[in-house]
Amino acid sequence: MGKDRYRRQTLVKEFGLKGQKLLSSKHAILIGGGGLGSNSANLLIRMGIGSITIIDYDTIDKTNLHRTSVFSENDIGKYKASVLKEKLQSVNTDVQVQGIIKKVTLKNIDSLLTAADVIVDGTDNIPLRLLINKKSIQHKIPWVYAGVYETVGMVMAILPKKTACFHCITQNIPILKTKEIPVLGSLPATIAAIQCNETIKILLGKQPAGLLIYDVWNQCFDTLGIKRNPCCPICGKK
Amino acid sequence: MKILVQVFGRYKDITGKETLQLYITDGNTLQDVINAFVKKYPSIQNDKNRMMVTKNKMLSSFDTTVTKDDEITLSPPVVSGG
Repeated sequence: MGKDRYRRQTLVKEFGLKGQKLLSSKHAILIGGGGLGSNSANLLIRMGIGSITIIDYDTIDKTNLHRTSVFSENDIGKYKASVLKEKLQSVNTDVQVQGIIKKVTLKNIDSLLTAADVIVDGTDNIPLRLLINKKSIQHKIPWVYAGVYETVGMVMAILPKKTACFHCITQNIPILKTKEIPVLGSLPATIAAIQCNETIKILLGKQPAGLLIYDVWNQCFDTLGIKRNPCCPICGKK
Repeated sequence: MKILVQVFGRYKDITGKETLQLYITDGNTLQDVINAFVKKYPSIQNDKNRMMVTKNKMLSSFDTTVTKDDEITLSPPVVSGG
């Protein structure tokens, strides 16, 4: 590990050399490399995660460019996972960066999550998040949900069987079938930064506080403490 | 029945408050709390079937019964974009 690279970060008393060393031993699986995922990967790699696998089956579209600082017009048509691997690997060669061009499904998710210390959510739909949540609980891998809509972002770190799970906060909520989700361009980077913080905090053993809700337009920043639902079919006591 | 409700996210902006009192005249469920909230603030109508509602810090189904002593929160729906 290059000492100089992280010097300013290791001066942070909550983090320190111990935190840096621990972070460098961790492996993150990032599912979805769009607005949220590209920004989260960028930060995790810069901060010195040990290794990261970025999984995305999609290519870069012109409509992606307003909400990420990683992709450029030259990347249009290329696979997100490949571009992120190539660009972010050059940011920090101490980090092992892998890009996988694959759609995450019920059939392949178990093999994709092998050896993960944390799952970072860069997806854009509820059904896939519910699948990630189920597998997170099953394999006892923490994960960090993040989502954006218009000017609102949410983040929640989920520790299997310790905190409320994603199903605990989405039960009874009908899934919206929206073709194009409206998103303010600056929002994913803001929410990804919070998601990155939560990811690093749980990797270093800090307990999450709950569901963070940030409405940038109305300048509301809230933490909603939610207890585990003992009757939750996913994380409840069976 | 008078219910004290804590609101989060843009609901704070819409209501201008963090905590508000709602008067439930019909029924005693969370659905009745939501109905009273939407009636008072009609701009929230679109969230009516999707908002996050907790009773005593636990996300609860809309048919859950409430009493005046319960701690109720109302938050905008979970967001899913990426």
